Amino acid sequence: MLLALAAAATISVLVTVGIVVVLVEEGALFFTDVPITEFFTGTQWFPLEGKFGVLPLLNASIVIALIAAVVAVPLGLGSAIYLSEYAPERLRRVVKPVLEILAGMPTIVLGFFALDAVTPALQMVFPGLGLYNALAAGIVVGLLITPLISSLSEDAMRAVPNSMREGAFGLGATRRVVSLRVVIPAALSGIVASIVLAISRAIGETMAVTLAAGTIPNLSWNPLEGMQTITAYIVQVSKGEATRGSLQYDSIFAVGLLLFAVTLVINIIAVRIVRKYRTVYQ
Amino acid sequence: MSTLETPSPPPPPSATATVRPLAKKRARPSEQLFKWLVVGLTAITMAMLICGAGSISWSFLTDKPSSNPAKAGFNSALRGSVVLMMVTIFFAWPIGVAAALYLEKFAAQSATLTERRLRERLTTGRVSGLGAGWVHARLWWLRIRPRVVHLIDVNISNLAAVPSIIYGLLGLAIFVGVMGISKSLLAGGLTLAVLILPIIIIAAREALRAVPISIEQGAMALGATRWQAVRSQVFPAALPGILTGTILAMSRAIGETAPLIVVGGVVFSTAVPSLNPLEAGNEALLAMPLQIYFWTDQPQASFQAIAAAGIIVLLATLLVMNLVAIILRNRYSKRW
Repeated sequence: MLLALAAAATISVLVTVGIVVVLVEEGALFFTDVPITEFFTGTQWFPLEGKFGVLPLLNASIVIALIAAVVAVPLGLGSAIYLSEYAPERLRRVVKPVLEILAGMPTIVLGFFALDAVTPALQMVFPGLGLYNALAAGIVVGLLITPLISSLSEDAMRAVPNSMREGAFGLGATRRVVSLRVVIPAALSGIVASIVLAISRAIGETMAVTLAAGTIPNLSWNPLEGMQTITAYIVQVSKGEATRGSLQYDSIFAVGLLLFAVTLVINIIAVRIVRKYRTVYQ
Repeated sequence: MSTLETPSPPPPPSATATVRPLAKKRARPSEQLFKWLVVGLTAITMAMLICGAGSISWSFLTDKPSSNPAKAGFNSALRGSVVLMMVTIFFAWPIGVAAALYLEKFAAQSATLTERRLRERLTTGRVSGLGAGWVHARLWWLRIRPRVVHLIDVNISNLAAVPSIIYGLLGLAIFVGVMGISKSLLAGGLTLAVLILPIIIIAAREALRAVPISIEQGAMALGATRWQAVRSQVFPAALPGILTGTILAMSRAIGETAPLIVVGGVVFSTAVPSLNPLEAGNEALLAMPLQIYFWTDQPQASFQAIAAAGIIVLLATLLVMNLVAIILRNRYSKRW
């Protein structure tokens, strides 16, 4: 019986091994046809014409994640400070679960929200903005990761012992000074880790960016243009009938491998940050 | 040293500062500004999130699509989602809970007693040949077990952060490619099961950890083995927590779109899938989020309206699942 339980625990390792093996094996097939240097240095991604330079896709993922971070960091940190330092306990007990439910919002809903509400609103500000643009995608992805940052940062801030706050109050500090100079520095590792994790989530986000940012690969830093992210490309190929063994079929595993590597590195960075800079208070 | 010992002279009474009465102390403008900034950011966050979710529902609850041929289509998407959830839970729940039980209750326990017993058996020479090899293998396992468990720990938390679309690629290559399951509800359900496995393990471990160790120790003091103590004391006590975590994991799975698209593509099917999960291997992969994506992707405005209607159904389902989880948590959560 114990062996059966242990076997169940091993399955989780098998899943990881499976992911790596599948991505590497199928990706290797792709790289026998497309040289790896061309993959990483090419600036054009037109699979039908045989041009496989991944930079436009990677660039789009990064641009959208950065826009998302610009939206989400002030909102998430602001609400975390409020919930942890200012809000009455009763309000906190209501808002916190609501935030957690919102963090689980299906991203397809946010994609629809981007197309249906955010883009029309942006078109009033920027006349001539196309239906598909990175800005709307970035904003909704920002909304998606805001609850994540806010919830995790708030946990980190509440872990700061009250004696530190009281010590600062005793020395005459105001609430703002306590929040900014005592609590935030003390909780910094947790806060930074939450932001890094949120960015990793934003890079892996799929449906909202597929719907809102369009399906045209575009190497550009202009957020008003449409662009295709790594995840959106995978969806675009899978949606049609890419036959098994074709170059397009293999290419989604190659870009998937890149996506997996990028998010894994970001997650490892987050874990490192927490481990290295965490201060444990009694 | 000497400076410490000299008593400081008491301050002359006339030199004390005049005390400012507290009531007249106004908060400085920067204080107020910061407070309102923080309050404002929180309010904006909540307002945007809630109105964002809410406006979709309200604007489309009021104007229904006039031509309604695709409404029947949502019936099959709904059935597809139900079957998907049944398949997902059937595979993910037993494995996830078993893994959590092992990691939390068996692998993490100290092994000194077992180790001593095994060594005794070797030194007394009661075993020989194959039996001795088995004892040596168990001793070796006990030695490397902490490291293996740590590895599994790190692995599970990493898995929980892998983008869901990667799980789709895994499902496409393993379930459809290697195992030869057709692009069906079964393949989709299996993929979602792999996707929520780490979530279930993490939630179940937390629920098990919340049961105080004294319960287990009490049972063992009365003569139960660890297995009996876990099975009949710890597991029942942790069950409500485990179920709450499971429902939350399912609410994650029911809204997932990307892995399903990768595994099965977006098919247009007029067939209504059967609710029997045993036939999941023959049914086309249909699910609520897939249908919503299909409609949203169409250029005509009438399809956007239907998509919104579908979103309302999906969000309502999610809300109900979350409410059940919250009620379960509040009703059965025990303070030990």
